[in-house]
Amino acid sequence: MSTQNLSRDEELVNKLKARFPEAIKASKIEETRRILVSFEKEKLLELATYVRDELGFDHLIGIAGVDDPTHKLIKVLYFAGSFTKKEIEDIILILEAELDRTTPVIASAVSVWPSAHFHERETFEMFGVKFEGHPDLRKLLTLDNWEGPPPMLKDVKFPEMGQR
Amino acid sequence: MSTTTPPAQTPPASMRITPSNEPSTMDVSVGPQHPGSGHVRLLMRVDGDYIVSIDPDVGYVHRGCEKIAEYRTAVSNIPHLERPCIIDAIHLNWGYVIPIEKLQGVVVPPRGQYISTIAAEMNRIMSHLYWLAINAGVFSGHTTIFMYAFGDRDLFIELAEMLTGARLTYSFLPPGGPRRDLPAEFQKRLTKLLDYFERRLVEYDRIFFSNPLVVARAKGIGVLTKAEAIRLGVTGPVLRGSGVGYDVRRVEPYGAYADLEFDIPTFEEGDSYARFMVRFEEMKQSIRIIRQALDQLPKGPIARKAPLIIPEGEAVGRVESARGEITYLVMGDNSDKPSRVKIMNGSFRNLIAMPYLIRNVHIADMPIIYGGIDYWPVEADR
Repeated sequence: MSTQNLSRDEELVNKLKARFPEAIKASKIEETRRILVSFEKEKLLELATYVRDELGFDHLIGIAGVDDPTHKLIKVLYFAGSFTKKEIEDIILILEAELDRTTPVIASAVSVWPSAHFHERETFEMFGVKFEGHPDLRKLLTLDNWEGPPPMLKDVKFPEMGQR
Repeated sequence: MSTTTPPAQTPPASMRITPSNEPSTMDVSVGPQHPGSGHVRLLMRVDGDYIVSIDPDVGYVHRGCEKIAEYRTAVSNIPHLERPCIIDAIHLNWGYVIPIEKLQGVVVPPRGQYISTIAAEMNRIMSHLYWLAINAGVFSGHTTIFMYAFGDRDLFIELAEMLTGARLTYSFLPPGGPRRDLPAEFQKRLTKLLDYFERRLVEYDRIFFSNPLVVARAKGIGVLTKAEAIRLGVTGPVLRGSGVGYDVRRVEPYGAYADLEFDIPTFEEGDSYARFMVRFEEMKQSIRIIRQALDQLPKGPIARKAPLIIPEGEAVGRVESARGEITYLVMGDNSDKPSRVKIMNGSFRNLIAMPYLIRNVHIADMPIIYGGIDYWPVEADR
């Protein structure tokens, strides 16, 4: 069962690599059902559209920002899943883009997955990632009078919460 | 006048409500108040009795859970990360622990998996009863079901307290398995309670779900078509009320779900009533799951000793909570604290449905749609 699933996962990765030989930088299957693919950020919309229309990952589970100050990167992870295609419904496909930490910019995926709307707004305010083409990129969760830097960055600490 | 909602077609590109000179419309701020499930504000533009558009203003109960989690140890994060949705604490706890166990290579013994499953399904019933009391009962002005459901929920809470030591915030599942075995008499009392509750569900059906008043208020209101539900990526009962039978317990079985028989209640209509009925049927399925789990409960240890550190790497785990799928990304760096915890939960995913559904409806239909989504602001804001 698990080897069969692994080969299924590998097949998916191979399809992606064949379609986007330059854009896919790395890929790994951490375990069956979880596929992580790093890609060139310029290719996001093309890749996302292909993943949705051809591979069947019809919805977005979420978007996670990850701050990596040692490599001066902010990673943006897109978690995609499938409701309609039975044979891949248990897979979470994670698309990972690496952005420059000082000016993180990437295209908005709202046109591909409408549910990206709130996830992108959250990542914008928490990590300062600018999603170009988002129809309404504004703060979501923090206080209206929050003036500080994006709070989820590793060098932003709240000493009163015991963060040193 | 027709009260049915036209299915949401064109997406509202921007949800922002800017000042308008249109004399017939008015902007109304609903909240931020605590309608029984946490603070949220809906900025609505209304035209007479109709809602033209809404801008959900969330974040009133944001407390930086993900940030705080980076400064706490893996184990002390458990009481912290289950707080966003205390009425469904087991699922928030379990979803966080699964990726840690994956990174640590710890496998929970079968008896532990069964006990976790029993606790989780009890929690699902409790959470659905809370929804039935507040989001369905109070929001539709049905105070009888509020009393019934809250009263019966307390019987489950008493048993949960007997099992875990706490009424709501259990912190029951550290990495490695549940903290306690079933206490003496627990099995007998739970079986008795399930028999009682099954009879009560018949009464619930009579006074609430088949009540012509409730049917008239909820049927045909807030229709989310199957195609829209898939496109928007909603989850949980909202998704299954729109005809998509997707449930993490089935597609990626965790705990003891692979061994147990249960159905995934799915309704095709996509309206608020369908979402009500999904939760009603799910409570029956939870009873079925708990009975089987009690019958087949394996012998042996309940937990393994898990290390205190999170090894380097990242793992994604997910469970089916009462409000839909909860997906956790946990990253470790060989220390006792996670370097990143990302929570993707049902309430935040279902938030996108609100501006689509609360449009072109009467103001009086808004609570029914809001209640049908079972949005839990604290869980969404984290």
